[in-house]
Amino acid sequence: MDHLAISIPSHVRARPKRRRARSAYIIRQGLIIAAALILLVVFAAAVRAGLARNGIGFDLGFLLRQANFEISEGVLPTWEGWRQFSSNDSNGQALLVGFFNTVKVSAVAIALSTLLGVLWGVARVSRNWLLRQASFLVVEFVRNTPLLIQLVFWYFAVALKMPALTEASSHLGALFSQQGIFLPWIVVSESTSVLSASALILSILLLAAAGRFRRPRRRLLALAGLFAAGSLAHGLPLSVSIPRADGMLVSDGLSLSPEFAALVAALTVYTAAFIAEIVRGAILALPRGQWEAAAALGFGTRTTFNEIVIPQVLRMVLPSFANQYISLVKSTSLGIAIGYSDLFNVYGTVANQSGRSLEGILIAMSSYLVLSWLVSAITNAANRRLLRAGGQR
Amino acid sequence: MNRSNLIRWGRKNLFRTPVDGLITLIVSGTGACIAESFVRWAAVSAHWSVVIENLRVFMVGTYPAELTGHAWWAGVLLCLVFVLSGAAIFARKPTEESSQTFHLARRLLPWGSALALVATVMLLSPNVMERWGGLLMSVLFTLLASALSLPLGIALALGRRSRYASARCICSGYIEVMRSLPLILVVYCIWIIVPLLAPTNPGPDLLRGLLGFTLFFAAYVAEYVRSGLQSIPLGQVEAAQSLGMSARQVNFQIVLPQALRVAIPGLVGNVLDIFNTVPLLFIIGMTDFLRAGQMILVNPQSGNRTYEIYTFMFAVYLAVASLITYTARRLEDRMSRGRQ
Repeated sequence: MDHLAISIPSHVRARPKRRRARSAYIIRQGLIIAAALILLVVFAAAVRAGLARNGIGFDLGFLLRQANFEISEGVLPTWEGWRQFSSNDSNGQALLVGFFNTVKVSAVAIALSTLLGVLWGVARVSRNWLLRQASFLVVEFVRNTPLLIQLVFWYFAVALKMPALTEASSHLGALFSQQGIFLPWIVVSESTSVLSASALILSILLLAAAGRFRRPRRRLLALAGLFAAGSLAHGLPLSVSIPRADGMLVSDGLSLSPEFAALVAALTVYTAAFIAEIVRGAILALPRGQWEAAAALGFGTRTTFNEIVIPQVLRMVLPSFANQYISLVKSTSLGIAIGYSDLFNVYGTVANQSGRSLEGILIAMSSYLVLSWLVSAITNAANRRLLRAGGQR
Repeated sequence: MNRSNLIRWGRKNLFRTPVDGLITLIVSGTGACIAESFVRWAAVSAHWSVVIENLRVFMVGTYPAELTGHAWWAGVLLCLVFVLSGAAIFARKPTEESSQTFHLARRLLPWGSALALVATVMLLSPNVMERWGGLLMSVLFTLLASALSLPLGIALALGRRSRYASARCICSGYIEVMRSLPLILVVYCIWIIVPLLAPTNPGPDLLRGLLGFTLFFAAYVAEYVRSGLQSIPLGQVEAAQSLGMSARQVNFQIVLPQALRVAIPGLVGNVLDIFNTVPLLFIIGMTDFLRAGQMILVNPQSGNRTYEIYTFMFAVYLAVASLITYTARRLEDRMSRGRQ
């Protein structure tokens, strides 16, 4: 009998069944959504009831109230410019300071870890046996121990074990002390005239253009030199400010707190180890024939590397870099372990002072979500640009 | 002959060009310098007695002293589980006669491990869960969090490939959001929300932390499982369907067993990630291995021995991580051999 059933044209029988299946599908779909919504509502109601039991409601008003605490490090963006945060400012402004501290440490660590990671990755595939093995050992060590122990090691065993400021010696103009690290920094001198500053900016732009366009490079370089010379002749617009210690006070230079320095060091080294592995993988993934072809064309090692390997590797690794950057941004929240005033740390203080832990953590969570998505959006855009540039060539 | 080979090797790998030679000299110089000062410090000026005196704190943290015997037994039980699972994972392919017992043992292993884990928890007595600590707590917590996040992760991965668009949306939304949040925030958030939901008995910090870790790492497990699911050719699903298997049968009898095999190296790596993030529990006031070490550092009697304590902790972390990495690599080798 079976073969008879099969011989009936399928669409004749299947149609009502499919329609039934379709309506069952829609019903189940609705049930799933309803279940999720009910779960969410029940959860929210339970949390609300719990808050009510403690005598508080869900209220964001605390953001506008006075903070009444100081933040050791951090500047507050206002309409008039940046200024130091004070205890008269509001809780919301305190969280903003924390947010900017998180962004600051992330940006610095991302830049440094990319630089270090790429160099490290190249060292991992170096022809020099010793360099290869040494970088392998360090990468394995860093990747296989928790970030938090590295962070507390950098802070308690490195940054805080430096000599006191009064005994700190100066290395190449930089001061390394318990109270922080003070680096020489380029500043705009006070006597700068508009003319000389604009000449300098123009010369930098011309230099950038010379890097980008190949054909009139020599002319562009000459113009850049001319403008730079003109700017110099008209009074030096930039100067190097070298930190000077005077007792416990340091003037001039760029000062970094020990917390900031330790957090940047830990995040940079940790992320760079992962980036090194990505870069190494990408370099090894290039077909050997490309190296051989380049050698056959008479390219040297360095030219092959700069012109053939790096452009392709960069295109391969950028998506993986994005993941590392996101996890770096998330890891900045470990700053609380060493007392760096990042967003999570400031949130902790605000929650303690105002008793608004739940509202605060929702704000902190959404900030980290936004930051993560921002990083991935930026790297995606960069990746798209890079791919397009590759297509044009 | 041998010597000339050595020289040739050195010229090729260490002194190919002048720059190369310079790098070799710099690396070997710095390396020797660091190694020399480290060895001298470790052998001469370091006082390792601080580690030995505080071994109890390192191992069990703030665990009550009168219950130390229980901690010993728990440690023995955990070691037994590790040795047995290691034996089952790395044993050679059995001969025909012994294969039956071998397969039986292998099938019993997950249940046996789960039982042993429960026994360990009971042994350490949940009444004093607040005071669990040290390396024992770190290891136990890692095992519990890995075990609990696995089913949730599998469910999320399957949900992400569900026929129902709404289930797909919910699961991928959960995974994406969890993956963009810092773990420390998730753990802290769960820790403050649970007392709101259950004001009379919010449970010990350890369980609340465990819930946070489970919810967080389930998202990562889901991604590893998903990569495993994607490696199963669609033809297998179609073949199973054409044999008249229901969707559930296809998932649980055909797709998942194979997908999990592919996902195992990633999942073992995830266990390492969990172990390496257990120190974040300091945020809810728990004393894991790292915090136990910091407690010893704060103690004025051993305050000056910073480097000895950090060296010991780094060594332990490195040892555990190497063990896990080695396991993952062996599993990966085994699986690639099985497929050939």
